[in-house]
Order: sequence, then structure tokens, then C-alpha cells
Amino acid sequence: MKEFPVPVQTAEDPSVKKQSGNIFSNVFDELVRFAQSRSLFMLHYCTGCGAIELPPAMTSRFDMERLGIQPMVTPRQADILLITGYVSVKTLKRVILTYEQMNAPKYVIGICSCTVNGGMYWQSYATAKKLNDYMPVDLYIAGCMPRPEAVISGLRQLMEKIKIGEANSWQDYFKRYDYYLGNQQRLFGETWQTPTDIIGESKHYSLHTPETEGEHTRLLELHQRPLEPLEMRLGLSEKTEDR
Amino acid sequence: MEKPIHMEYLLNELANIKVRNERQRRMRLDVPSKELPAVLELLKGRAGFMHLSAISCVDWIDENQFELVYHLWSNQVSTLVSAHTRIERDPGVYLSVYDLYKPAAFWERDIHEMYGVFFEGSPDMEKFILTEWDGPPPMRKEFDSEAWVNDHFDWQNYRPDWLQEIEQEGGGIAILPDEQRFSRKAEE
Amino acid sequence: MRAENYEPKQHPPSHEYELNFGPNHPGIEGNYALKVKLHGDTVVSARADAGYLHRGFEKLMEQRLWIQNIALVPRICVPDPSPMEVAYSMAVEQLCGLDVPERAQWLRVMQLEMSRITAHLFYFGGHAATTGMYNPMFWGVADRDLVLDLFEELTGGRVYCIYNMPGGVRRDIPEGFLDRLSRLLDYLESRLPEYDNLFFTNHVLINRAKGTGQMSQHQALEWAVTGPNLRATGLQCDVRRDDPYLVYDELEFDIPVEQGGDALARTLVRRSELQQSIRILRQIIQRLPSIKGPIRAPIPNPLAWNVPAGEAYVRLESSKGELGWYVVSNGGQKPYRVHVRGPSSMHAVQVLENLAKGSRLEDVAQIMFSLDACPPEVDR
Repeated sequence: MKEFPVPVQTAEDPSVKKQSGNIFSNVFDELVRFAQSRSLFMLHYCTGCGAIELPPAMTSRFDMERLGIQPMVTPRQADILLITGYVSVKTLKRVILTYEQMNAPKYVIGICSCTVNGGMYWQSYATAKKLNDYMPVDLYIAGCMPRPEAVISGLRQLMEKIKIGEANSWQDYFKRYDYYLGNQQRLFGETWQTPTDIIGESKHYSLHTPETEGEHTRLLELHQRPLEPLEMRLGLSEKTEDR
Repeated sequence: MEKPIHMEYLLNELANIKVRNERQRRMRLDVPSKELPAVLELLKGRAGFMHLSAISCVDWIDENQFELVYHLWSNQVSTLVSAHTRIERDPGVYLSVYDLYKPAAFWERDIHEMYGVFFEGSPDMEKFILTEWDGPPPMRKEFDSEAWVNDHFDWQNYRPDWLQEIEQEGGGIAILPDEQRFSRKAEE
Repeated sequence: MRAENYEPKQHPPSHEYELNFGPNHPGIEGNYALKVKLHGDTVVSARADAGYLHRGFEKLMEQRLWIQNIALVPRICVPDPSPMEVAYSMAVEQLCGLDVPERAQWLRVMQLEMSRITAHLFYFGGHAATTGMYNPMFWGVADRDLVLDLFEELTGGRVYCIYNMPGGVRRDIPEGFLDRLSRLLDYLESRLPEYDNLFFTNHVLINRAKGTGQMSQHQALEWAVTGPNLRATGLQCDVRRDDPYLVYDELEFDIPVEQGGDALARTLVRRSELQQSIRILRQIIQRLPSIKGPIRAPIPNPLAWNVPAGEAYVRLESSKGELGWYVVSNGGQKPYRVHVRGPSSMHAVQVLENLAKGSRLEDVAQIMFSLDACPPEVDR
């Protein structure tokens, strides 16, 4: 089967490979990647129609678990973010928050044609048109909607990519954060903020590049206001206070 | 189909109302906007029109009017009545029928955010679906969603570098989206 | 995380707090959110927050040709898409005054009832999962797939069939299809006792669902609840019987009712409806070979089709309740206005908010699934 590269620049950095020249660490890396590709926890954000084909893919007929892929309910413990269908602008904000909460390495799969180019909702004012403007996407599975076999085949391709160490698009978010943030600000307005400090994290992963910061991240600092602590007591009525 | 008899009596009592019996179990009333709440109350009280199926809004931009359509069903006379009324597009304010029909709250809220019609007396006119939308009410005819999309989104790159190799071998995208029959470019 | 997020803040002692339930939550059906205010574990008030699945269907349909919209409409309700395309086709036929051939009407009823079976099987799985039983989910989804295989054979699509068009249906049944359908119905019927053992008479379900999310008949009528949720309160009310469309007046079927009005009654009504759908499909298998004739009325060139000015309101009984389609044409090539009354827009917003009030937090998911709320219908 011919491997088609995905339309995302994974920004393969040769300098990273040179640093780990030690043969033992190479073997260790390979082992880690093998283990990673065999135990993937998947957070399926039910953004649209494609979610209806996931229960058949996960349950007894197509049985995704035999590949070592299991659904996971929290973003912090998940490896794969599965975007199942069109992403409305309101959902996109939540998807970005979810994505930033996930721990690296993390992989994004866009299911359905709508995540690729807007699909049949290309005229709609409410849906985002291409997902890879807002976050790096490892793999697209086209179809309206893709069958469970297609979903599983896509996941197997992702496993192969992880195994050979090519699924690195999550690094792209840290390396070119300014570009992604610019697209997000274009859609949500200049005051768009997320609670995650991506620039700090990029330094932590030593993925900080000149493109990480730019005019858009400066805008972030300009509008930054201290996050208000979550007020847990909301609108207590007088009756309950009396009690 | 003949009208059920007590419907006929009932409708005779109402002045200013045009009645059309379009097809089986469907009836269209054209009501002046001032009298609509009274008509609904009469229909509910006297002919058992308990079920408000939906309220639809149609934007007649050429006549500068909104048309509100109240679809009511009665099990007693097995008829669906569509009560039509027209209000001026500007300022677009009308009376709520929430005190007659509870489900009206949802439809009035929906029409308010999609068309900008305000219903006086409706319990909740807050945004529901479009909470994070700051543009004009999108269902109005003058709102051009395609222009909005072109302003806010980039289109996918249909000639990426990796496709060129495949194209040289004779593969690739058969008809590009812009060249397709009903594409936005073809219509221009 | 920024440092300030780590600093715990001392809150005043209080038992009343707010919780965001959804949009990405395993206990929420689809992409939908509830803002719940809690006192301990008891819900004080709940507020629905929709719009995560909003695509602006009604706007999109105004921008496309009448025939193009056929591909668009099934997407409005993902778990039960077939009634949408039938309703839209019926509305266009009423506007044009097209007479649908009898065979096409029978095929449409067949599609609608098969779709109802898939939706109900999916529903059982969802309701079971919210009560902590995962086996019925596996069974329901697997059995639903067998019906989807028949859909694929008939129409080419597993979930979105796009089988209808104004004037009739796209193609006739393939050879031997009715035999396979008949075998499938036998299989589903033989599975029902097993489902009873596993799920419907299970003490876990009965203890958790009895009395949960209870509404009276009066409340249901006041909130315009329709479909199985209304029948679970004891009222025999079904659009297929009250306002018959297609060939439902020639078919024999019962309208099952339950008295409880709670989550258990809502599930049991759907279980009986599954049997009635099987009964209807058996009648169709018997009658269909004797009904000859075309499957589609001739329509003008669909790419330059001016539908006469007018309006139509079509009501249909989908698996979730009364589905209404209001279509207005001004004589142009595109619809002037389309309005969809998704049945869930009633019971997923007002009713859910009211029923969640006073229940416990762990029951909110069960109430939502037992009402069979379908968020894409609310958002459109």
C-alpha cells in the first residue's frame, strides 16, 4: 500500500535526531515508540456526525480494542484527540482548550470531510473550515462519514507513523504557535485567551523557535488579564442562606 | 374535505380572518397581527388546539415584513391550523404567547436570536444557540453567509507539494472544487 | 498551566455550587452542555446550553437547489436520519402537487420503520450505559449494525441513506432483499427475550429507572412532548394514527403505552415499539411483491426546477416524536424558507431542565438518555 504523506508540515527537525546519537538511547527510543504505538488512549470529542460510526468501531463488530486503542474520558490521560466531524466555532474553542490540556506526545485525527475543507457545510457561517489552521493534524480520514473500517485503517496508519517516529506534528504547535494563535484570533477576536501557557511549555520541551512568538503572542500579553479565580458560589438565593 | 361542523361555527365568529382549506387536515388562517393572540385563545379553548407544534418565521424582505406562522394541532378535530400573521420588519416586536402555550418560549427564543424579533412577555430572550456569535441575526435575508465565510476562513490548499508527484503520475484531484458545477466560482 | 491556576483559593463554606456538565462528557448525548447547580448531590436547577452542533441548516438550504438539499437534510438528526429525507421529499411533493406511486410509498414506510429499529436499538444501549450496564450497549450496537447492512444493500449508505427524492425513491429493492429482511426480523425477535433477561427486567435498571425523571401526562402535554415520551405517560397519541401519511392507514399496528411517565416507562414503550415495527415490516414484506408500478414520479429537470410558490407543513412520527417540516417556496429554484421542528427541541431543553431539577446528579445523564434527546435536532 502506498503511503501518502499528510498535508501538514510536520517540520522534521534533523538537529533533534543528531542530539540523540547514543546507540543505546536510540534503541530505547525505538522501544518507547513501539510501546506508545501499542497502547493508545483515545479521546473522541463528539463534534459531529462521525461520532455515530464510533460505537460500531469500538464495540464487538469491528472492535478497536484489539489494536490496543481504548476510549478515555479525560483529556489529560489521552493520547489521541479524535475530532469526529464538522467543528462549529463554538465547539472549536472547546476543542482547542481540550487539545492544550493534553500531555505530549499527542496526536490529532480529523474524521469526516468537514474537518478537511468544510465538507458540505462550506457555506455555513457556523462551522470552521479546516482544522489544521487551528491545531496540527496528524491524519485526516475523509468520507461522509467514513466507515468503521476506514476509521480503524486510519488508526493503524497512525500507529505505524508513531512506530517509525514520524508522528511529530504536536511539536509543530509549540514551534509555530504564533501561526496557530493568529488563526484562532482571526476567528475568535483579539482577546482570545487560553489558560495554558504554551510559550512556557515550548521552552520546557526545548521546542522554542523564533516562530513560537510573534505579533499574535504579543497581542496575547497585551490583553492578558489575571485569570479570575473560579467563583463557586453562584447566585445563592436568600432562602438557602437562611437554611 | 368538509370542515368539521363546530370549526365552521367557530370560524364564523371571527371577523377579519381569511380561511383556506388547503388539503386534508390542513387549514390556513390569515390573521391580522392585533387579533392573533385572541384567535389562538379561542382555538385553544373551544376546539382543543392544545398542541403548539412550532412557530416559524419567514423573512419577506421585499415587503419589509416578517411573517410568523403558528402551527397548532387539535386531536379533537384532527386538524392542523397554520395561523399566519405579518409584522413590520422594523422594529420587529411582537407579543409572546407563552401564557397560552409553554413551548412558545423555545420558539420565540429561537426566532429572537435568528431573526432579531423581540417578543414582549416571553420568559427568556437570552441567546441560546448563538451565545458566542456577535454578528447580525444570521437568518435574515440580508445576511450573506458566504461573504462572512470568505472573510473569516481560508480555503484548503488543493495543490499541496505532496500532491504534485501524484499528479505527474496521472493521479490527483479529478475536478477541483472551484471548477465544479455548483461551486462558488462557477456561479459568478 | 499558569502559576496562578495552581493557587488554591479559599472558598466560603457552601454546599451549593455550579457544575458544567458537558459538552465533552461521557454522560451527555452528543455535543451538548448542561449547567447544573447542585446542593450536595441534588440538582437545584439546570440550564441547557446548546449550539455546539449548530450548522445553520436553514440558512444553507436557502442557498442550494431543491434537489441538492436532499443530501443535506439527513444530517439534521444523526441517529435517526431517514425521517428527515422523507419529510423533506413529502413537503416538496405537496408544493408541486406530485403524486407518489404506491410502490414508492411502501418502500418509504419500510425505510422509516427500519430506521426506527436502528434508533431504538441505539437508544437501549445508551440508556443501559447510563445505568452502569455496558453489555446491552454492545448488543444493541451490534444488532443495529445488521440493519445498517441491509440499508447499505438497499441504498449504498450505512447511516445516511439519501434514498428518497421528491417524487419517489431512488431505486427498487435488490433481489432477495425481502428474504434477508425477513430473516433479520426473525433474528431480532428471537433476541428480544434475551434483551428482556439482560436489560428490561434487570433489577439494576428497575431500581435506578423507576421514578427517575417522572413527568405526569398533564406536564407532558403542556410542554408539547410527543412520541414515545408522551406515550410513556399513558396517552395513546401517534402521528402515524392521528394524522396518517404515506400508507400507514393500510397497516395494522398497535400504539403501545405505559403509565409510569418515568425513565423505565420510556424504555419499555420503545421496547414495545420495536415489536410493532417488526410487525409493520412483516406486513410490508407480505404486501410489497403484489404492488407493481414505478417507484418514482417523473419530475422536471432537477437542475433547473422552479417549485411553484406556496407552503407546506409536513408532520411525521420519527423515533423521537413529532417531526415537523415547514417549507416555503416563492417560485424560485431554491427554497425560500425551511423550518425544522425537531422533536428533541422540546424534550431536550425545557423538559430536561425541569426533570433534572430535584433529581440526583448521577441521574441527570439517565434522564437525558431516557428522553432520547438528540442535540443536532435542537441546534440544526
